[in-house]
Amino acid sequence: MKKYLSIMAIAALAAALLAGCGSESEEAAADADKPYAGTTLNVYTWTEYIPDSVIEAFEEETGITVNHSTFSSNEDMLAKVKSESEGAFDIVQPSDYMVEQMASQGMLEELDKTKLTNLSNIDESYMNPEYDPDNTYSIPYLGGVEAIAVNTAKITDEITKYDDLFDSSYENQVVLLDDFRAVIGLTAKSLGYSMSTTDAAELDEIKTKLLTLKPNVKLYDSDSPKSALIQGEATIGSMWGAEVALAMEENPDIEVVYPEEGAYLFMDNWAIPKGSKNVDAAMEFINYMLDAENMSEILAEFPYLCPNAAAVALMGDEYASNKAKNPPAEVVENGEYIKNLDTDTLTVYDQMWTELKQ
Amino acid sequence: MKKLSRHTFRSNTLPSMAMVGPVTLWLAFFVAIPLVYVFIMSFCSIDESYNIVFKFTASNYERLFNPNYMQIYGTSILVAFLTTILCILIGYPFSFMIARTKWKHKALLYMMVIIPFWTNSLIRIYGWRTFLGTGGWLNHLLMTLNLTSEPIEFLFNKGATVLGMVYCLFPFMVLPLYTAIEKLDQNLLEASSDLGAKGHTTFRKVILPLTMSGVFSGSIMVFIPCLGYFFVSDILGGGNSDMIGNLIERQFQSGNNWPLGAALSIILILITLLLVKLYQKAGGDMDSLGV
Repeated sequence: MKKYLSIMAIAALAAALLAGCGSESEEAAADADKPYAGTTLNVYTWTEYIPDSVIEAFEEETGITVNHSTFSSNEDMLAKVKSESEGAFDIVQPSDYMVEQMASQGMLEELDKTKLTNLSNIDESYMNPEYDPDNTYSIPYLGGVEAIAVNTAKITDEITKYDDLFDSSYENQVVLLDDFRAVIGLTAKSLGYSMSTTDAAELDEIKTKLLTLKPNVKLYDSDSPKSALIQGEATIGSMWGAEVALAMEENPDIEVVYPEEGAYLFMDNWAIPKGSKNVDAAMEFINYMLDAENMSEILAEFPYLCPNAAAVALMGDEYASNKAKNPPAEVVENGEYIKNLDTDTLTVYDQMWTELKQ
Repeated sequence: MKKLSRHTFRSNTLPSMAMVGPVTLWLAFFVAIPLVYVFIMSFCSIDESYNIVFKFTASNYERLFNPNYMQIYGTSILVAFLTTILCILIGYPFSFMIARTKWKHKALLYMMVIIPFWTNSLIRIYGWRTFLGTGGWLNHLLMTLNLTSEPIEFLFNKGATVLGMVYCLFPFMVLPLYTAIEKLDQNLLEASSDLGAKGHTTFRKVILPLTMSGVFSGSIMVFIPCLGYFFVSDILGGGNSDMIGNLIERQFQSGNNWPLGAALSIILILITLLLVKLYQKAGGDMDSLGV
């Protein structure tokens, strides 16, 4: 008797499941406003970069289920996308140089921009970047600048450039990002060279100068460099603009300085990896994120440099006039994106970084 | 006779297969194959787009002799050595007290060593950073008590790294020591005292030799992970003095050179094997390593 009962129970469960499926697909078919309802989008973004509420609202509006996972470095993301089978991800978020690298390896789908009705919200100056001319593969999302943060209560000298971080009077007071491209990059900039130089003589000079930074460095911290500044462990440092903005809120003595040599600039982008099975739904997702209102909601939580002019207009004065959150146009104009390095040059960079950090 | 042997085959092979099979499979899939994979990768190269290509090269191993790397190996071994010594100096009396206490809630004391480990070690290390920072509680306390006028800079040096390592790895020293001291035969101690040995002589001639196996296995279990705990030197050391673990991590991340990272990992494994060999030479018992 018990046996029959359990069989019946299983049958009932199966029937319920089948019925569930049925009604779901009927629902999808019934709603013409939601052409992609029932689809699951695999979205792979940077950590702490898109509020859950925005994703939930997108799911609500479109009936698409978003399967959201995160990464914390471009290289991590690249390795993961490579190791998974094609179609494992529908949306990725590579930075500038990574767009170039992925596109050159044929890892990205070309985007049909006619589907992006909100694309005009993006400021012209951010379109057609050097890493992806014509925006064939990518649409800018949020970006930033490696700015200098200085505690003016402790440092009274006027700080204007990356080169000031090398001043020997700041011994054991500097906090830097634990990121070799950022630190070697600012050294290159302070000498007037490109952040991605491959010239051997320039690299020699950069290395010599880089090692003079060692006595000044109190700590390297990529996760929360602002903490050392807020707690007074460091008095000056370089970090992403959004970090400086948060530090300024905690301690009004902290100020943001954009280096006159030109700053390290990054831009993270929406892109669709090759082999995605839900390209149309993915385009719908990107278009949703380009919407001024949605983007301003994101910006309220994550105040980075935003190429979406319509969203910035909605943000009001607090954001627009905050120099750390919203860098002036000329800073962005004079900024430099890093470029991919060939393997031999990367070895040179890696070796000087190792020597600095040993 | 034939029938009997078939019978014994069945009755022995099947059960033992059933017992050993899963373990063998487990070891093959999660230990042997990954190790072989790392070993093979350490001889691979990368192409211009940083893909791993199976083209044999020994250049990854040549790069390991770079003087910068050598200095980092030296720093790592120094930090691991100091950590081990400190763990022994603190852990030995500590374990002795727990093991020999007459208090009936001995198990509770033992548990208290383990309970902090239910929290993620990364979080506990960040806790130390908050505690020791120039604006942290300890400095606050010292300044309130007028013991110092300026905050003391505890963090972002090798000392802070060693402290974090000792804190993280302390239980790995205590547990084998506790087992060894617990096993000490009370009669031997009494005999020693009957024969006229004073406390320190008993310790030197009886207790220490009998618990040396615990000291050895504790040292192995502290020293080896210490070489690889890159997050401690990152967070408490401020990234100023890299260790082997940092080098490996970097090659798998920003360096984007997995074969070189694999070669570095192989070096770490070789150091480990060498230490375990030394441990066996010194008369250590593999079982008491708990591995």
